[in-house]
Amino acid sequence: MNHSHHRRVTGALVAIAAGTLLLAACGSSGSSDSAASSDAAPAGESCTVKVGVATGQTGGLAYVDVPSLEGFDIWVDEVNAAGGIDGKFRVETIVKDTRSDAAQSATVAAELLGEGISFLITPGDADPSIAAGQLAQEAQVPAMSWFGSSPVLPVAVGDFMFSNAFGDNAQARVLANYATQQGYTTAYTLGSPDSAYTSNLPRYFKEAFTSNGGTVVGEGTYTMGQPNFNVIADEIKALNPAPDVIMTPAYEPDFPTFLKAIRGAGINTPVLGTDGIDSPTTLALGETAEGVVYTTAGVLANEGPMGEFFTKYNAKYGKDPEAIFAVTGYELGNVLNAAVTNAQSCDPVAIKDAITNLEGVQGITGTISFKGGDRMAIREIALIKVTGGERSLVEVVIVDPATVPAA
Amino acid sequence: MDAILTYIVNVVSLGGTYALLALGLAVVFSVLGLINFAHGELMTLAGYALLAGILLGVPFWAAVLAAVLVGGVAAVIMETTAFRPVRNANPATLLMTSFAVAMLLQVIFQNFISARGQAVPVPSLFTGSIAIGNAQVSIIQAISIVVSLLSLIALKVFFDRSRSGWAIRAAADDFETLRLMGFRASRLIAIAFLISGLLAGIAGVLWVMQRGSVDPLMGLKPVLAAFVVVVIGGLGSISGAVLGGYLLAAIEIALQTWLPEGLAPYRDSLTFVLVIAVLSLFPNGLFGKRVAEKV
Repeated sequence: MNHSHHRRVTGALVAIAAGTLLLAACGSSGSSDSAASSDAAPAGESCTVKVGVATGQTGGLAYVDVPSLEGFDIWVDEVNAAGGIDGKFRVETIVKDTRSDAAQSATVAAELLGEGISFLITPGDADPSIAAGQLAQEAQVPAMSWFGSSPVLPVAVGDFMFSNAFGDNAQARVLANYATQQGYTTAYTLGSPDSAYTSNLPRYFKEAFTSNGGTVVGEGTYTMGQPNFNVIADEIKALNPAPDVIMTPAYEPDFPTFLKAIRGAGINTPVLGTDGIDSPTTLALGETAEGVVYTTAGVLANEGPMGEFFTKYNAKYGKDPEAIFAVTGYELGNVLNAAVTNAQSCDPVAIKDAITNLEGVQGITGTISFKGGDRMAIREIALIKVTGGERSLVEVVIVDPATVPAA
Repeated sequence: MDAILTYIVNVVSLGGTYALLALGLAVVFSVLGLINFAHGELMTLAGYALLAGILLGVPFWAAVLAAVLVGGVAAVIMETTAFRPVRNANPATLLMTSFAVAMLLQVIFQNFISARGQAVPVPSLFTGSIAIGNAQVSIIQAISIVVSLLSLIALKVFFDRSRSGWAIRAAADDFETLRLMGFRASRLIAIAFLISGLLAGIAGVLWVMQRGSVDPLMGLKPVLAAFVVVVIGGLGSISGAVLGGYLLAAIEIALQTWLPEGLAPYRDSLTFVLVIAVLSLFPNGLFGKRVAEKV
């Protein structure tokens, strides 16, 4: 009896796999005839900017994509209430869930491109954004990631792919400089080969830290979602010389697990993290997370220009924003606003050219530029220290592109 | 010597959790012939229950107890609402139902709780480590070793001494004959789900205490690991599930400890290569019964 169960179970699994492949194939075959069919009104005449949003409303990227879209929607409401961008270009969004899956991101992007969009928004991570962006590149429609910070993203796709985030090489530079200022001369890095973000950040950090005269004395790797980090903790304890600082791009659920494991093992070495851990989960870790320093887009606090955003967010959603991504999502609207205003057109190619030349667009956290960069946003990076369960600002930095490790 | 001791501690703590999860799968498989892929969501649910308990300010031990019970009760509800109506359908239907239940629960967690992980503030009593010889063992690891061993012993007593436990073991061999002998299928299946849910609850609490957070997709990886364990141990073998759990942990930790850093990206692939090697030597799993193919 068990044997026949076994066989049938295997059969069912094979059928599922085959079905998935077939769906993926059907999805991507639609892309060839999806060249942008935006009705290109003559420059200056009013038209509707159709924005396709391929976003992970469910799954592993929801922690970035959900708040990003919430912020962006606030901008859309605002701009349409004022008669559209520059008073004449109304914004229409078409939102489709990618389930945080790269193959599904491509399928969804193909569907959106087929609807004649002028601009595509892709998930807040490089891998699904590359999958979606390649189709946009082929269709000559500009695409921008919510906050995918891997600088390989625009390189892998082409001149129609942008990201609203600073590059990981830029945040690694900020962390390396901070480490050197603190007098740290040896470091241990922990990365994961499972994503561009987690595999490249330790490499950028090593390059920047070494150029400052520091030494990376150990480099560990983990598998995303691995059950525990006890082996890694033992490995760090055995290092000779012991590192002055630990740098990792791990984010939840791996970051809390890692942090608990090393603190549990009695390792009190300072830890540097990256923008993936800028979430209430990190702050709620209490004593364990005390003193962790990380880079992010800005300090999420109900004051100054961000306080105004808090009010708007509260009016629409009835709560305070939990992640900086709500703010950066709104800022993606600021970028689109500036690009369409300059282009005076809904034509995808004109919008792409305008984004490439944007300089000093006023956002909430600061200004955002693309001119002279590698299609990653040139924007302020905030260095934050967890103090008593709160974010406290260490400093705000704009990185000189010349000092940034190569993508 | 220290390295060996550390290795053993790591294997026993991870293996214990795997064994608990795999046993949960095996118990249900033995009565229904179903690998319940929604088992991981029972863990997640227990994790959220633990969090809710802590946030409500009940004593930690009470929150833990409640979380484990939530796992058990949820499993029984899952059985009566989702699996009972399709109990006599073919195994593929049952399997699909379990996928559907898993996805449904994940989406419910995402939409009604949060797509983001929630930090679980475990009392600081549980962070820190104790010295065993020259090796440091974290308190949470020590707890997970003790709790998983105690649970396994309790389960062994249940299987050896109680009529229901005896019946479940018999069901693993031949459920049809057991039913002919007058055992009520519904009762036995409900008991199997209850045990499986309690085991998921215990594993979920241990998992969350190690990880410090709970998120909607938390159950996905462990249930896949447990599935591998059940296959290594031999589908339908209860002792196989336990030993398989420790074996998989031994392989994983050995690769994490001794595999050269340059080969790290292949760690998971190598784990599965070793699993395939085990299966090619023992096609029915280490403790699976040899079943003659019916022609």
